[in-house]
Amino acid sequence: MWAYIFRKLLYNVPVYFGALLLVFLALRVQDPVYAYLGPEATGEEVERLRQDMGLDKPVVVQFGVYLSNVLTFDFDIPSWNQKGYTVGEILSRSWIPSLSITVPQIALSTVIGVLIALLSAYFRGRFIDRFLVIAAVIGMSISFLVFIVFGQFFLAALPQEEGWEFAPFAVQGYEHWIGVGGEEGWFLRPSVWAHYCLLPVLIGVVVSMGYDTRFYRAVMVEETGRDYITTATAKGATKPKIMFVHMLKNAMIPVVTRVMSTLPFVVVGSILLEMYFSIPGMGREIITAINARDFPVIQYFVAVFALIFIISVILTDVLYAVFDPRVRLS
Amino acid sequence: MRAVFDQTLKAPLAILAVVASILTAAPASAQEKVFHHPIRTAGPRTMDPAYGTSVYDNMAASQVYETLLQYKYFVRPLELEPLLLAEMPTTSEDGRTYSFKLRDDVYFTDDPCFPGGKGRKLVTDDVFYSWKRLADPKYQLQAWPKLAGLIVGLDDFKEEQGARVDDGKAFDYAAPVKGFRKISDREFEVELTEPNRQFLWKIATFQLSVLPHEAVERYGDEINRRMVGSGPFKLKEWKPNVGMTFVKNPQYREMYYPTEFSDEAIERGWDLEEGSRLPLVDRVEYTFFVEDQPMWLEFKSGNIDAVQTPNSAFEEAFNPRNKRLRPEWRRKGIDYQPVALFDFIYRGFNMDDELVGGYTDEKKALRRAIALCMDWEELNNSLYDGIPIIYDGAIPPGIPGHPDNHTMSPNNRGPDLGRAREELKKAGYNVVNGKVTDLPPIELWTSRGTQQEKITELFQRNLAKVGISLNPRFVDFAELTKALDRSQASMFGLAWSSAYPDAEYNLQLFYGPNETPGPNQFNFKNDEYDALYEKIKYLEPGPERDAAYARMQEILVEYVPFFGSQARVRQWLVQPWVRNFKVTETFYNYNKYIDIDTDHPDYPG
Repeated sequence: MWAYIFRKLLYNVPVYFGALLLVFLALRVQDPVYAYLGPEATGEEVERLRQDMGLDKPVVVQFGVYLSNVLTFDFDIPSWNQKGYTVGEILSRSWIPSLSITVPQIALSTVIGVLIALLSAYFRGRFIDRFLVIAAVIGMSISFLVFIVFGQFFLAALPQEEGWEFAPFAVQGYEHWIGVGGEEGWFLRPSVWAHYCLLPVLIGVVVSMGYDTRFYRAVMVEETGRDYITTATAKGATKPKIMFVHMLKNAMIPVVTRVMSTLPFVVVGSILLEMYFSIPGMGREIITAINARDFPVIQYFVAVFALIFIISVILTDVLYAVFDPRVRLS
Repeated sequence: MRAVFDQTLKAPLAILAVVASILTAAPASAQEKVFHHPIRTAGPRTMDPAYGTSVYDNMAASQVYETLLQYKYFVRPLELEPLLLAEMPTTSEDGRTYSFKLRDDVYFTDDPCFPGGKGRKLVTDDVFYSWKRLADPKYQLQAWPKLAGLIVGLDDFKEEQGARVDDGKAFDYAAPVKGFRKISDREFEVELTEPNRQFLWKIATFQLSVLPHEAVERYGDEINRRMVGSGPFKLKEWKPNVGMTFVKNPQYREMYYPTEFSDEAIERGWDLEEGSRLPLVDRVEYTFFVEDQPMWLEFKSGNIDAVQTPNSAFEEAFNPRNKRLRPEWRRKGIDYQPVALFDFIYRGFNMDDELVGGYTDEKKALRRAIALCMDWEELNNSLYDGIPIIYDGAIPPGIPGHPDNHTMSPNNRGPDLGRAREELKKAGYNVVNGKVTDLPPIELWTSRGTQQEKITELFQRNLAKVGISLNPRFVDFAELTKALDRSQASMFGLAWSSAYPDAEYNLQLFYGPNETPGPNQFNFKNDEYDALYEKIKYLEPGPERDAAYARMQEILVEYVPFFGSQARVRQWLVQPWVRNFKVTETFYNYNKYIDIDTDHPDYPG
């Protein structure tokens, strides 16, 4: 197993190197200093910032520094747009808000999606199945933004505006609900999380439900036609036992693939949700950085995202073997 | 509709509440007065005035740092008054030397950067130190243009110190500047390179705020997010991408509510608080919004106290026909305040261009014909809900010199197709069946973007009515400014926003020596205009200056280097429990005057 993981990591080194090179070059197609300071900047200002950032050095030297910083996780690079903050500080303060909405969202949508898919497969061709399929298609057909706008209005703003007794959700905002050491120490405030994060999580779950249900249903339906299901049925196993004991485990590979493919998204966060609910996560940070042409933040955030993506691909391969003994790591 | 949702949503919300309403954040105590203000961005870039450029940086810095002068809050047109100064500065006879006297009761807030953690008195050296920071390359010279070429010896100081830094030495703040003359800890003089009345406006801008060297030296780059000032508020917390909290500075000197009021201020009852000590609220909460929808919902829910109406919500709050606030909003006591910005949005001509440039009567007639074709009302109504102000001349509304009712006589405002055809004939072109037949297409350079494309389409359609053909070139802003700097564009669309309320800021755009690559992108040259411009730079407000402004505007109307002046108007709505909020987008240290009526029946508590 470890040899396999090591080999996979080794194979992916050139891939990661290529990704870094691509990012590095793409960000230099247009002069980043000029793009940041704008057309009104004087030549002196441009030159000063270029020197400060080492952008006056040969490209090979610049790439060497970039590579070295990424490989040593040295993100102590000052942000251009958020004066007084380094890329490392921005990364470290934004990952928890992102995970606060994406982890529960992926967990919930996966569990609910699989359950609904099982239900749909169990009642295949009957009213419940058709109803669930139609609901999934409708859910997929509606824009994410519509769910956000309606959810924010009807579940958060309207109860407050009308002075209802139950107004559990904030329209937007974020408070620290979990402390993981550092200056603030350890703490856990689930009520604060619920106030600020539950609504975006629910909206995220509803949005992904359509896609997940449809995908998982197809997986389950395909599994129902397998020989082992026929064998189990012939041996007199009950239908619930066949579905939940035999079929579910075999259907886990596509489920794992799908969940793992969303791992980078877990870290990047749901950009739209973060923008509309003012969650200060990584997605919002990267969009803010792009809008402000904050070159150091963009450059190093993308490097981190690429790394997470590669790791998630390796993890997917490893998990295949865990769920399916036929898959050999060799 | 609402009743249906009320019925259908209450049950599921009750279930959700079991999960979610275990505890919610405790509201502010009934006694505490909090002003909730939105900021339409992810937040300021910096708290350091020397780095600051945007209005958002200004909104943050102005709560903690103070300038020598400030704007009179309730007086319009805008005027200056002392803030850190004991009295208004006096000027020498030649208008080049200003004498300043600082207040004796200004202290920086207590902070570990001071010996014993005790804030000290603000003195002359702090002013010089803070202004010298603008010349320090460490701060990327972001605010240097405010002082460039203005003060005797300061440009030399910048060059010398820049060279030191390049040699690896430290920037020497102790090095003298000839134009900075310290008389005592409270008194000093500043000598200008030439008489310049705009100097006073400039020192009221937040970049020239005064801060202690101890804080900068101790905190280094952290000064971007840590504030040690002398203002009415202290920064309590800055949550990046979420918001900022400022609390009342308990050490703030005795400063009182204004005593000068405009008629509007008296009519609105803002003169009631006279004599109250500032600041009036205990806390100011800024919330950052990158999307308009949550900001609007927060305002409707009463969670923020004032809002700039987003375009998407305009028809919800206003009747689009008469632009009045809808009756249900008025019944709630929402206060509507339109705020005209100091904008000069225009279409300009390159006066050096072979086709549309030139100073002969024929060339003037051609430019006038083009101007007379444009239907500004149609543009305003179809693309901007009829909100912006269309005006004549180059001086925006709210600035002395702006024409009454936004109109000059004569003017070049369209649509007047009959007059346009006459002008085309005067220009020497053939006009057959109402359309010009021998005028080549004119190239118009403008920024990319859907809105610009719509405006240009409308413009093309208007011009086609008299047979004028327009050839638009949509380019990035950077490319547009480059083209203007090289005098490549025959016609162009651009905007200019005044940093301070003085007509000189806009009239410099037509001053001959400012031609490209300077701000005079029209390359307009007129001896009489230039002579008047040199005069208004040091003329005191009064009839002579008014006459000079009027004559300069007449010259511009006569030669038509531009047409179609437009200024945006922001639609501000203010909650009924907010007191004394005269909305402005020119300066941002007004939070100290605002009060919250916590006893108001609709106050959300």
